[in-house]
Amino acid sequence: MPPRLPLAQAAQVARCCRVSPLETTSTTSLTSLFAALSVQTRSASILANLSDNRGAYHKRIRVGRGPSSGYGKTSGRGTKGQKARSTINPWFQGGQTPLIISHGRKGFVNHLAPVMSELNLDRLQEFIDARRIDATKPITPRELILSGVLGKGFKDGIKLLARGKTSIKTPINILVSRASAAAIEAIEAAGGKITTRYYTKESLRRLVYGKSVSTDKPLPVGPEHVEAVLEEARAAKKHYYRLPDPTSRWDIEYYRDPAHRGYLSHMLKPGESPSLYFKVPGEKAAFVKKSKGKKTTDAADLEEKLF
Amino acid sequence: MAGKGLKSLSEAMRGLSLASQPCSRILPLARPSPFLISSSRRSIATAEASTFAPSTPAPVPNITRSVTEPWQPTTEIPLTIYSFPSLEPRRLETWSSKHLYLPLRRDILHLAVVYEGDKTRQGTALAKTRWEVHGSHKKLFKQKGTGRARRGSKQSPLLRGGGKAHGPRPRDFSTKLNRKVYDLAWRTALSYRYRRGELIVTEDGLELPLPDDFLQLAEVGALARELEDGFVKKYVGEVLQGLEWGKENGRTTFITGDRRPNLFTGMEAAGENGRAMLLEDVDVKDLLETGRLVIERSALKEMIKEHQSDLVSNVVINGKRAAGPAGSGKVLVG
Repeated sequence: MPPRLPLAQAAQVARCCRVSPLETTSTTSLTSLFAALSVQTRSASILANLSDNRGAYHKRIRVGRGPSSGYGKTSGRGTKGQKARSTINPWFQGGQTPLIISHGRKGFVNHLAPVMSELNLDRLQEFIDARRIDATKPITPRELILSGVLGKGFKDGIKLLARGKTSIKTPINILVSRASAAAIEAIEAAGGKITTRYYTKESLRRLVYGKSVSTDKPLPVGPEHVEAVLEEARAAKKHYYRLPDPTSRWDIEYYRDPAHRGYLSHMLKPGESPSLYFKVPGEKAAFVKKSKGKKTTDAADLEEKLF
Repeated sequence: MAGKGLKSLSEAMRGLSLASQPCSRILPLARPSPFLISSSRRSIATAEASTFAPSTPAPVPNITRSVTEPWQPTTEIPLTIYSFPSLEPRRLETWSSKHLYLPLRRDILHLAVVYEGDKTRQGTALAKTRWEVHGSHKKLFKQKGTGRARRGSKQSPLLRGGGKAHGPRPRDFSTKLNRKVYDLAWRTALSYRYRRGELIVTEDGLELPLPDDFLQLAEVGALARELEDGFVKKYVGEVLQGLEWGKENGRTTFITGDRRPNLFTGMEAAGENGRAMLLEDVDVKDLLETGRLVIERSALKEMIKEHQSDLVSNVVINGKRAAGPAGSGKVLVG
């Protein structure tokens, strides 16, 4: 049997620990009284004495379960009428022709519109100050999402907004989907660099999970690039998904625009408009002149032949 | 009700007597509360714990505190690591007060125990409805002219042998509790045990040594199964009652990281004196049930590591996330 300390000895040792007379007089007068009371229940489990705080639970009101409940006969709905028996439509106007009848439904919800995570400059600066974002390296969507500054989950892109634009002091190199004009101005005033790039929800997810490599370069287009790209893919040990480029006109125009610091803006020739629809007048004339020149000469010949 | 109120009050007073000396250099266990010791029915383990405390005179608790004095709550508490079953103190360590010295929150413990209870409900009760009861759904007899009450089918809930109208169906009773609250409850339960001297931490490899001659006989197979069990039951009972850990003292829960053959079979045989549990099987209710917990150090460490989500930040700074309070398991003596 394992050795054990006799009870009397244990109590003596314990008693020698409290020698200060002051303590006994000052504190134990009340505490010892209560302690003596609690001695009786000391071996009982605490499980029987657990309860939530008073007021933490609200008892559910049971409607229509007898008169003593207070919600018995009419269940709190008053007497007689449509409201006592059923519900009334929210558009009902007391019998007057409702707006929805006279004017119909207006507008629609575009379910296809991209939903952006919004990031404001003051919050970005806070995260940089707290060292939750490393401003010495380029800040890409991967860093932003992993830092938690955008909240949980993935959206269709990240838009930088200019709330607290005076607070941004750190020069940063940031890559996002879109940015407001004021945000671009503020970042560049602080000595930073901003680029906007096309992202989709899937591409953001792949960046975060390391299935894509962040870049601000568009995909190379043309047969001359095929061999180089294949070579690179064969050399790589892991397969990386390439980031997609925009295909819709609105997106292409957005990222072609230097005012948005778009990643396609280098494709613009001097004086060229980012718009795919409106051509620069001079250029259009030059293009038309070439083809039309022939036609005009043909027409001139015809005219000559005819007349 | 009144008893409960008194009990909470006495616990509050107890907490006051400990927490009211913020600036004292002495650690809480080193100066046991007088009324805790004055009880003659102390468990021997705690009494031993108090014997190893330095017998310096206790400082006068200054209940009133100057405003200029900064409030410095205890951040570290002492924890003695014992050998088992001799209960010799082998080491004195300091552990974080956020791990083992949290204030008692009955509401949080209640939430955790209710959450566990809900989660453990099987919810497989099932009574057959009239459509599930076997048999023909033919009309029993014609509608009119028999002089009997009309009957549509044999399985009607009104009839004997019919289906149950609103009987139990299998369902999930589990409720939700925020992880941080649940983890706080774990450490609150451990703190409650610690504060009452009912948490006995042993060295790793907690195992019950059985007598050599018995083991030899058992190995040879000289003992029948019943005889073996009977001996183990008696032996374990005697060991536990000798420690005042047995049935009369509210039983004992042993917690280990993996299954220890002697301990587990022994406690199965001597179930009236306590039980042995694997770390993975333990929940908050188990921590609160019996008279005391005997847990090996690594298991305690693992338990706290698993249940400190409210202390560990999920904010990443410079690629690292802030860890929980440091200082648990630092060796002071030994």
